[in-house]
Amino acid sequence: MNAPVRPRFGKGVKLRHDPDGSVMLLVPEAALVLNAPAAAALELVDGMRTTGEIVEAVVKQFDVEPERARDDVAALFDRLVERGFLR
Amino acid sequence: MRRPLSLLCELTYRCNLQCPYCYNPLALSEYRDELSTEQWNVLLRDAAALGVVQAHFSGGEPTLRRDLADLVATASRAGLYTNLITQGTFLDDTLLDRLLGEGLDHIQVSIQAPEAELADRIAGTAVHEKKLDALRRIGARDVALTLNCVLHRGNHDTIGEIVAFAERFGIARLELANVQFYGWAYRNRTALMPTREQVRHAESIVTAERERLRGKMEIVYVLPDYFGEFPKPCMNGWANEFMTVTPNGDVLPCPAASAIRDLRFENVRNRTIGEIWRDSEAFERYRGTGWMREPCRSCDRRELDWGGCRCQAFLLAGDAGATDPACSLSPHHSIIEALRDDAQNVEPVARRA
Repeated sequence: MNAPVRPRFGKGVKLRHDPDGSVMLLVPEAALVLNAPAAAALELVDGMRTTGEIVEAVVKQFDVEPERARDDVAALFDRLVERGFLR
Repeated sequence: MRRPLSLLCELTYRCNLQCPYCYNPLALSEYRDELSTEQWNVLLRDAAALGVVQAHFSGGEPTLRRDLADLVATASRAGLYTNLITQGTFLDDTLLDRLLGEGLDHIQVSIQAPEAELADRIAGTAVHEKKLDALRRIGARDVALTLNCVLHRGNHDTIGEIVAFAERFGIARLELANVQFYGWAYRNRTALMPTREQVRHAESIVTAERERLRGKMEIVYVLPDYFGEFPKPCMNGWANEFMTVTPNGDVLPCPAASAIRDLRFENVRNRTIGEIWRDSEAFERYRGTGWMREPCRSCDRRELDWGGCRCQAFLLAGDAGATDPACSLSPHHSIIEALRDDAQNVEPVARRA
């Protein structure tokens, strides 16, 4: 599965922030609870930024190895693309 | 105690279809005294304040409520993700545009079969053509859509055609849900039970079609739990994240729970949904793992499947506190085996009020 260059959310997909700091991806008939790096990556999904730019931002924010961040974001995006939540 | 995440609003049990696999209770006439628009508005806002993130509008047929779009508006404004679960026969342009205008996020439309003759026979009335119109109308608009088909012995062999049907309509998400035996479906279980060959055949088709349609169509296949080794994690645990409100305002931990006759469910006419979630006796009874007996109590899977389904335990073993008989470790598992092998060619009873 190839992730799109400039990902955007699929139909019926919404990011939700709660006052307690938790972030969820609301999708048709389910709510996926996100960890902090996944939430940070998905917050930058807007159909304009490239996946590379999103990875770069996550690396800056979380002090992780660029390679590890690239793999994690790619794996997350692949899963979401496969289910039609990102396109 | 966790916050509830999901609220199923059963707005009415009225429906123009008579599907014999409906999970609604047999005693439909006990639910005629429906909540008012304002009572639904209050409980939707209360639910959002309690932490609920998704509201599912279902029934019966929810589009038979004239205030459906108003309720979607209330839920949307309260920050809830809104989902309409409908059989689609009343979704004309006017209603659809109103619902989308009020912020409806997702629609699930059900079909009975991939072609009219069988579909109309299952529904007990001519509905298939109207559903095709609804699917075209939805497809022409910018909204997420899931196509759902409940599988049972009478349509299981058409599973390949159902996928082809979904492909023709450009469906991105297809839910193939094996019938679950509650309400009318429990009444009709011997007529609806798929055969072992059907279940095996379906699994091979689903595996192949998922591969072929990867990235184009998500196929959600809900396994028939009479055929598995372990039970489903029903509702992801009793009173753990899910609530149902029936048309008359009863609040249940699961849409089939009214079958458990020795539980008393509280009503939003008397207490708020938050109070009911926190301390109603029916919610407390099977919450968490403290209520479990063996073989659940010491089982490694107790927080994976939560002992399975309380309603199924009540219906089949006569005790809602027993291990779900669908579990191979249950002392009542032979009941499931007998039912599974009892597929009979009898006519199902049509759902009627």
